Amino acid sequence: MAVSFPSVEYFEALREKMAAHQDKFQRLGFIDTTFGVSVANNGKSRSFILEFEVYELKSVREVPSVDPRQVDFVLVGDSRVWREMIENIRRNGEADTSHDINTLAHLGEQLKIVYDSPDGHDKLYRFMESIQEFFDLTSQVDVSFNQ
Amino acid sequence: MAFYADKDYTQDQEVLEKMNQVMAGNLGLGWYDARTEKIKGRPRDLRRGLTYQDLDIGSYGYSKIPEFIRDNQSMVARGSEKVGKLPDMGYVLNRKSDVWSDNVTTLYEEAKSRRWAPAVDVPWTELDRNPLPHELEAACAQLYTFLQECALVSMDFPSRWVPLVNQDLIELKSFMCAQMLDGSRLLEAFRKRALYGGAGLGRASVSAEQGLKEWLWADTYPQGSVSINLSLAGLLLAVYRHVAAFAPSRVDRRLMGYAMQDAARQVSYGLGALRYHLRHQPAQAAAMNQYLDDTEHVILALLGSPELLEPLIIISGGGLEREQVKAGRLATAKLIRLAVREYLERLEAAGLSGRPGNSRIPQAIERIQVEA
Amino acid sequence: MAYLATRNFLEDKDFVDKWLYTIRTGELDLSWMKSATEKVKPHEANPRRGLTYRDLDIGNYGFSALPEKVRENRSYAPRGAEIPAGVPDSQPWVSRKSELWAFNTESYYEEAVSRQWNATTDIPWDRLESAELPETIGKALSQLMTFLTEVEMIATDTPAMWLPRLNPDFIEVKAFIAAQAMDEARHTEVFRKRALTTGWGLMQASPMNEMALKHLRDADSFSEMSVALHLVAEGNVLTMFRFSEYLSPTDVDKKIFRLVMQDEARHVGYGMQHFKYVLEHFPEKREVLHAHLDEAENISFAGAAATELTESFIILAGGGLKRENIEEGIRITTIFNLKQMQEHFERLEKCGMPERKERSKLYMMYEMGKAAAEAAGIRV
Repeated sequence: MAVSFPSVEYFEALREKMAAHQDKFQRLGFIDTTFGVSVANNGKSRSFILEFEVYELKSVREVPSVDPRQVDFVLVGDSRVWREMIENIRRNGEADTSHDINTLAHLGEQLKIVYDSPDGHDKLYRFMESIQEFFDLTSQVDVSFNQ
Repeated sequence: MAFYADKDYTQDQEVLEKMNQVMAGNLGLGWYDARTEKIKGRPRDLRRGLTYQDLDIGSYGYSKIPEFIRDNQSMVARGSEKVGKLPDMGYVLNRKSDVWSDNVTTLYEEAKSRRWAPAVDVPWTELDRNPLPHELEAACAQLYTFLQECALVSMDFPSRWVPLVNQDLIELKSFMCAQMLDGSRLLEAFRKRALYGGAGLGRASVSAEQGLKEWLWADTYPQGSVSINLSLAGLLLAVYRHVAAFAPSRVDRRLMGYAMQDAARQVSYGLGALRYHLRHQPAQAAAMNQYLDDTEHVILALLGSPELLEPLIIISGGGLEREQVKAGRLATAKLIRLAVREYLERLEAAGLSGRPGNSRIPQAIERIQVEA
Repeated sequence: MAYLATRNFLEDKDFVDKWLYTIRTGELDLSWMKSATEKVKPHEANPRRGLTYRDLDIGNYGFSALPEKVRENRSYAPRGAEIPAGVPDSQPWVSRKSELWAFNTESYYEEAVSRQWNATTDIPWDRLESAELPETIGKALSQLMTFLTEVEMIATDTPAMWLPRLNPDFIEVKAFIAAQAMDEARHTEVFRKRALTTGWGLMQASPMNEMALKHLRDADSFSEMSVALHLVAEGNVLTMFRFSEYLSPTDVDKKIFRLVMQDEARHVGYGMQHFKYVLEHFPEKREVLHAHLDEAENISFAGAAATELTESFIILAGGGLKRENIEEGIRITTIFNLKQMQEHFERLEKCGMPERKERSKLYMMYEMGKAAAEAAGIRV
């Protein structure tokens, strides 16, 4: 059954896939970061906080908004951008070079990286390969779009 | 030779007698009741294994390392019992706040955990299936030539200092070793990438190398660390992200993905070390500001180097056509602003406030904004 | 300031103007595109190994083409790049290939990267919960681990000290040393972690062995450092690891020793191949190395008088402190001591220094020790 994006169910589905691919994530190494994902649509946003620990997504929860001081960084973007990324991943099995998180966020033109502290910001790059692999698991999940 | 043993041991009766006694079964067992703390460390989280953080216990812990390490110049393991005549190994970094960072054990564990192997973790042969157009491949070859120069200096820096760091700071020394391996792995990966594409290496950069040597040869570790671990690594991190974002191939994207992880760890340490240094030696802030005033020109030596700037423009724009170059120079100008903004943010976060006002770099960047 | 760039680039108007002009106009100079460098196309010789340094051993980029004396590059430029006038001197101390090269250097490095392990996660630490050791064994094990923690980091500090002194053209050797530094950091870590999980903590330092560390650190040339570190010291430690694995009281300890053994064998392998290389390509160095070995072997012999180590080894080998344990422990430790020396001379002979035995006092001690052991009924 398809999970809708954005939703806690979507991230939970990725969490399950992540657990099922522990070998891959152990090979990539520890991932210890808590970050936010914010998806904007028609002036409204839905926001989530993802807490990664060791090799797993420990928890995910939806919040009214993300305070950058409470997390390492927040990935903020319009639902159109997120949707395009997800569809690209589903089409290719992984994000192509135009649709990976780094590319989308690099100059802040598609996704924005909001952060309070450079220490937190740098964690995005310290764990980049794991974070990208996490989102790439979308290729194994049926996703529908509810916005 | 600088050091000779104090005698010929093969002829020394005392030593021979001591050995004979032990091998005759007369054990002295002077060590058996060593006056050390008895502890049994265990992993707090089995998924993570047994980390250095798990062993931050009592007299063995890194939390207990004093600011001034006055009672150990030998290689005795921190927390063990010191006996007899121990040699002086000549350490010059004996003050914790000259080198320490609160995140150093985390970063060391992370470095091991997130290891990679350029030989097998980069899909090299994709370049055979999807070769790049000549000008893009030439730009890549030049970029990766430049990055090798930087990686070499990043590897040399911890190597120069690690033998001079007091053995009590073992976790920090271990992290420096991980940095050495990170540097060598990046050097390897960049060399492999440059040569695999078929364009050969490009040209070394005079301005970059002049600048890199000035940073590498800093008088003190805190100064060198700011230059190499924070300024250089921060700038390279931005370049890696940029090349990944505009990657002409999956090979480059994957390679830059790994490179940015290693560089981000280095930056995290550089920021943490400066923060720790200034927190414990606030009087050094003025000296550090002065040092940065004197050496920040190296940022320009790197960013302004045609051996970096021009390939970046070509890669960012996707080629040498007029429109491509235009797009490339605009994207590269954004990268430069991003790199400098993040550099200043990190200094601020480390406790070196007011840097944007003192630094001459932002003025230079302003001119780019206008020009671009 | 230890070094000042030849220009302050912020104050170099031509440099700044050119930079801004390039960004403003997109008029690229592109002179680097005409670099007079070789165009090559490497291939993965074995796709399962991926792209190795050996695959890049092509034309003037390759290590095979390195001259005995590197005269052209003293900067930070990668080997084979075009080097314009004005690059700085990186002040290398070693620019002679035979002073540092080893047959198969590149393979040792690739192996090191490929076989990196993690002392935190690759050791089944949780199994120690159910492995309660008798006090005697626990303390002896802790003492052994204390010694190993103490000595391992020297094998980081010493080669690390040399790394920036090596001409950048010797990329593969520099890379190998960087990998060795990491190996040794991991060894220090794993032994420290094991000592701190015995329940006895760390034990006593070893002044006699510390003297050996000082000796290792203060060599006059890279080759001398390498012979003392890679061949003598690490050769001895490799034999010790093999015996320690054999004596290990738990499977956790066995695992530790098996993993460190792999790394140590690689370092000894490099040391042997370098020793062979230097003897073959720089024959004048033979006497210098003999002289250094005289000192290294003297200190190596002194190590046997480090009773805190020998005694703990005897206890571990014999399984306790009872008379029969001690007797068995002495038997095994005697074999171990003799084996260390025997293997040391075997290595030297294999590398092309068979005459070492004739001038070595250590060899004399070995022969005396062996005769005494045989007289006592101990067969080596």
